[in-house]
Amino acid sequence: MVAVNSSRFVFCSLPVALAAGFFVLRSQAAPTRFVALAAAKPSAKSSAHSFATEVAPVINTYCLPCHGESQPRGDVSFIKTHSAADVVKQRAMWEAAARNVNLHVMPPAGMPQPTAAQRERLTRFIEETLSSTNCTIPNPGRVTLRRLNREEYNNSIRDLFGVDFRPADDFPSDDVGYGFDNIGDVLSISPLLMEKYLLAAEQISEKAILVSPHVARKWSGNELVGDNQADENGAYGFFGPSDAAIEYSFAAAGTYSVRVKAWEQHAGDQNAQLQLGIDGKAQATIDVSASQNAPAWYEQKLTIPAGRHRITLSFQNDFYKPDLPEGQRDRNVFAQNVELDGPLEPDARALPVSQKQIIFVSPEQIAKDRTLAARLVVTQMARRLYRRPPSPEDVERLMRAFDLSRGESFERGVQIALQAALVSPRFLFRVETVADQKPTTQAKGAKVQTVQNRVLDSWELASRLSYFLWSSTPDDELMKVAASGALQKPEELQAQAQRMLRDPKARALADNFAGQWLMLRNLRDVAPDPNLYPDWNDQLRAAMKQESLLFFEEVVQNNRSITDFLDGKFTYLNETLAKHYGISGVRGANFQRIALTGELARQRGGVLTQASVLTVTSNPTRTSPVKRGKWVLENFWGTPPPPPPPGVAQLKENRVISSTLTMRKRMEEHRKNPACASCHSRMDPIGFSLENYDATGKWRAREGTLPIDTSGVLSDGTRFVGPVQFKAILMKKQNQFVRAFSEKMLTYALGRGLETSDKCVVDAIYKHVNENKNTFGSLIEAVVASDSFRKQQVEVVKGKKN
Amino acid sequence: MPSPMSRRVFLRGLGTAMALPLLDSMVPRALAAGAPGSAAAKAAAGAAKVLPNRMIFVFVPNGMHMPSWTPVAEGALQLPPTMQALSGVRDSLTVMTNLAQHNAFALNDGAGDHARSGAVWLTGVHPKKTAGADIRAGISVDQLAAQHIGNRTRFASLELGIERGAQAGNCDSGYSCAYSSSISWQAESTPVAKEINPRLVFDRLFGNGNINEAEESRYRRNAERKSILDFVQEDARDLKNKLGAHDNRKLDEYLAGVREIEQRIDRADGDNPQVDASKRPTGIPSDPGEHIRLMGDMMLLALQTDTTRICTLMLANDGSNRSYQNIGISEGHHELSHHGGDKDKQAKIERINRFHIEQLAYILNRMQNTKEGNGTLLDNSMVVYGAGISDGDRHNHDELPILLAGKGAGTIKGGQHIRYAPNTPMSNLFLSMLDRMGVREDTFGDSNGRLDRLF
Repeated sequence: MVAVNSSRFVFCSLPVALAAGFFVLRSQAAPTRFVALAAAKPSAKSSAHSFATEVAPVINTYCLPCHGESQPRGDVSFIKTHSAADVVKQRAMWEAAARNVNLHVMPPAGMPQPTAAQRERLTRFIEETLSSTNCTIPNPGRVTLRRLNREEYNNSIRDLFGVDFRPADDFPSDDVGYGFDNIGDVLSISPLLMEKYLLAAEQISEKAILVSPHVARKWSGNELVGDNQADENGAYGFFGPSDAAIEYSFAAAGTYSVRVKAWEQHAGDQNAQLQLGIDGKAQATIDVSASQNAPAWYEQKLTIPAGRHRITLSFQNDFYKPDLPEGQRDRNVFAQNVELDGPLEPDARALPVSQKQIIFVSPEQIAKDRTLAARLVVTQMARRLYRRPPSPEDVERLMRAFDLSRGESFERGVQIALQAALVSPRFLFRVETVADQKPTTQAKGAKVQTVQNRVLDSWELASRLSYFLWSSTPDDELMKVAASGALQKPEELQAQAQRMLRDPKARALADNFAGQWLMLRNLRDVAPDPNLYPDWNDQLRAAMKQESLLFFEEVVQNNRSITDFLDGKFTYLNETLAKHYGISGVRGANFQRIALTGELARQRGGVLTQASVLTVTSNPTRTSPVKRGKWVLENFWGTPPPPPPPGVAQLKENRVISSTLTMRKRMEEHRKNPACASCHSRMDPIGFSLENYDATGKWRAREGTLPIDTSGVLSDGTRFVGPVQFKAILMKKQNQFVRAFSEKMLTYALGRGLETSDKCVVDAIYKHVNENKNTFGSLIEAVVASDSFRKQQVEVVKGKKN
Repeated sequence: MPSPMSRRVFLRGLGTAMALPLLDSMVPRALAAGAPGSAAAKAAAGAAKVLPNRMIFVFVPNGMHMPSWTPVAEGALQLPPTMQALSGVRDSLTVMTNLAQHNAFALNDGAGDHARSGAVWLTGVHPKKTAGADIRAGISVDQLAAQHIGNRTRFASLELGIERGAQAGNCDSGYSCAYSSSISWQAESTPVAKEINPRLVFDRLFGNGNINEAEESRYRRNAERKSILDFVQEDARDLKNKLGAHDNRKLDEYLAGVREIEQRIDRADGDNPQVDASKRPTGIPSDPGEHIRLMGDMMLLALQTDTTRICTLMLANDGSNRSYQNIGISEGHHELSHHGGDKDKQAKIERINRFHIEQLAYILNRMQNTKEGNGTLLDNSMVVYGAGISDGDRHNHDELPILLAGKGAGTIKGGQHIRYAPNTPMSNLFLSMLDRMGVREDTFGDSNGRLDRLF
């Protein structure tokens, strides 16, 4: 029996504090008041009788002593529940209560226990009360506008442009909420990120579109810069030894054809000569023999380095003899035009594939209509980047960006438009607009807010699907199906989901879903003590992660039962990891599929006994049965325990004790403290069953010199020894796992935390998966088909806009 | 007519070090500290050029081993064991005992002290307990200052860190990871992301890795960026009309980011400080000490060139369980901090505290050695160093370990240990610091006054 006086420290009773984040106001009433009021205020008529007569007494006897009015354990108090209607109102708390009572987690061991029939009656009542009232009003919930996270950004860029470039690796980390980094509420934008978006857009647009360095430009004489001015016909005159120049930034070095349309006023025995130079340095000379009535083009090829240079024209052989007759005494030369064309060498750079995709039509192909070509290109670009057909305004805005390129090449204009589109909120956010509900004016000035369920349009649905399964943008086929409207048909939606699951891009589910569910991403930061674990190195780190990813992928690709995660009889190993597992015969760095048999099957199987999970749930110097137990409660059963309260002594690392006691013994000491017992009796036994694995997941028969005891008792009294028997329990409780796993998957798919109103959806998913042998594919099917996935709750403001 | 310019900025040669008029000669181009018209400003007007004051916050997680932190006596500062490395800057230190962040306590929200410690440290506001939906704390003191005086420098503020945000799992007891990994909050629901890679900090501050870029092309690039920012602002406003209030909050964050960059471009006016390209770091050092010192170097570079006056640096996220094998400690920091009175664990915590202080010493010594006018960079700064938890085992948020270094441009005496009344809000310190930055606020967070005895 838990000592009542230590109630300040008895914190751990229900996970609801975690799940619901609620707290209970303390009441002055005595616990008995519960029953009295429950009988006196029947508010839910149908179940009032059964609540007062069948349920309340059980709660009163077994729950209220701890979860009553004063200092309720775990901040959970049932004192404010007087009726079935209250149970509905306090849904999160009662859901957790039902789950814990059902799992024999509550009442905790050592406290008086209800009979099996009472237990059954209580949980059934709670479940029926909660489910009967809720599912009639479907509520798909609301996902906050989500920006792309780093993975999604990188993948989208990869799939849009085929450029092998991960610009988002330099972005700040995405915050994690509900265990995942794709949660709209938590993903924020800071100036730092905005700056990175801008820079990434510049880099991407330069990689996706090469602006040809080619220049074919014509200057007229009055654009030449020199001491003189052009005449009224635009011819620049050189009347004495003088220079004039054009200036140009050459994107590439190469041979350029420089042509000058010129004529001379002949005098003396030479033609006028114009020297062509680069930045004033002579390169070639043109002998101008044409006269004003028939100006001629003179061409020279110059090798010009990249960068900004002046192309100079210099009149060298001036001739002026005032004594000579008019028409023979003054040699002058005039430049009507200058043309630059080059580089003449073919552009050695291969145009990126993306360039041809983006610039699918050029002005040359449509009668040099630059504006029309730009409009076509920009419209298609917006459709791909914004993942839906752009509005006319969207196109106009991008055209304005394109127009910033005035005077530069077409490609350059497209590049700027692309840059703009990449920073547009329509690309960076996954927009699900409510625009189709036009605010309607009611009474003047009145503002009425109502909530509606809105079916996502096909484009929004396509994006949800592709970011769920691929962490990336929809592909052409998905866009096509969205455009046709077919995606709204359930069978087409499923067909697309199954197609996408088979695509290699579905690897994103392993990387991002499994990477976070199994906490594989944390492997990057673990640092086992090199003195205690000399085998630890980066190769092993990478191999551990790869094993789990490949395992996960096989379940996805072969549509296996998700219970394989509990006890799959296969795995993937390379030489490094095989050695770690004490297996010979696996050679090389490549992974091979290994069927688990014999001794190996006793040691490994399922994700829990993979080195990755065992390592991320350990401390740098030792295993942590608590963390391992907590991991199972959280990730397999969906019943995370609350964290320890402040002030509770943690496990002492005292050397004297360490050397004489196993980890297990030390923890058992620890659990003698009743403040710790109620939670640790749930976590620790699970962790003990895994004590044959050291802090890097290596099998061990002894801890140092001490034998290891892997026996344990679950809170419902089930006894087991070692990982094999514990996994048998996991399999026996597989329904609990299927449900918890479904919740995780739905959270990930939606990008929001689950609400109590999602219970109906989870129920439906669970049922479907259960009826389909728990296959991974059936889970995806059910998630995608759910209201929560296909619909969105929107607030509709009617009346005056605020 | 200029050609399409190549902005393949990252490919361009950074190997070439520029000739540099180095930093001591770079008197900040900025001007008055103190509010316009204030006595300080007027007094300063006579002097040739008033040097700016700076506000820096350096955060450490998981509390401190307090017996080695708190100086024994009040008055003239005698360095406690943890602070021995700071002997070179002793006269510039003010150790403050009994400051508290009351709003980091549970206040009926249950466990989650590490999350609250991070989110409250500079905001003084009790954060909403949520794993994701509607994260909410308050604006932090650095961001408030940045909003008032950030326009005087190219960067309104700089947010740095050493440890990435969590990659998976839950951070603390039903709190979003945003809380324990963010001390800077630009608005109540918007934590400011921090940069942990020193190379990227350098690139941001000094021209995106393109410090040799010609004046003209930089001008053009900025003009083009501004046009694009105009474009997206219009786009975002258009989008706002089509979204619900919830989603609009996200767009507001987006627009705030856009405006900040716009202003930064305006402030740049072709006047980028010239910095030795050879100072550009190559990446994240694997040694944690080197990482912190390099980040400190980047911060100093930003302060010396008056690129910003406001900076936060998190030496790790709160609740961080990283091990410091570089100083022979294999156990995780958080794991150790729940020492349960174990002497061995406490010794290790103290060692980690000293390690962090040693890195701070490196930064402060460099600030002290950087001449600026008649004084030093440290003289013209206020560097707050400390944690949001006092004893890592008790998780208490009063008696916080807080150290103020620097003389705040002649407004702080230094060389003192001041014991305030128990539970004096740390927000009072923030108000006093805001005053010294020329930002006049009546209240901040849970403040109930200003701190006395600083001078």
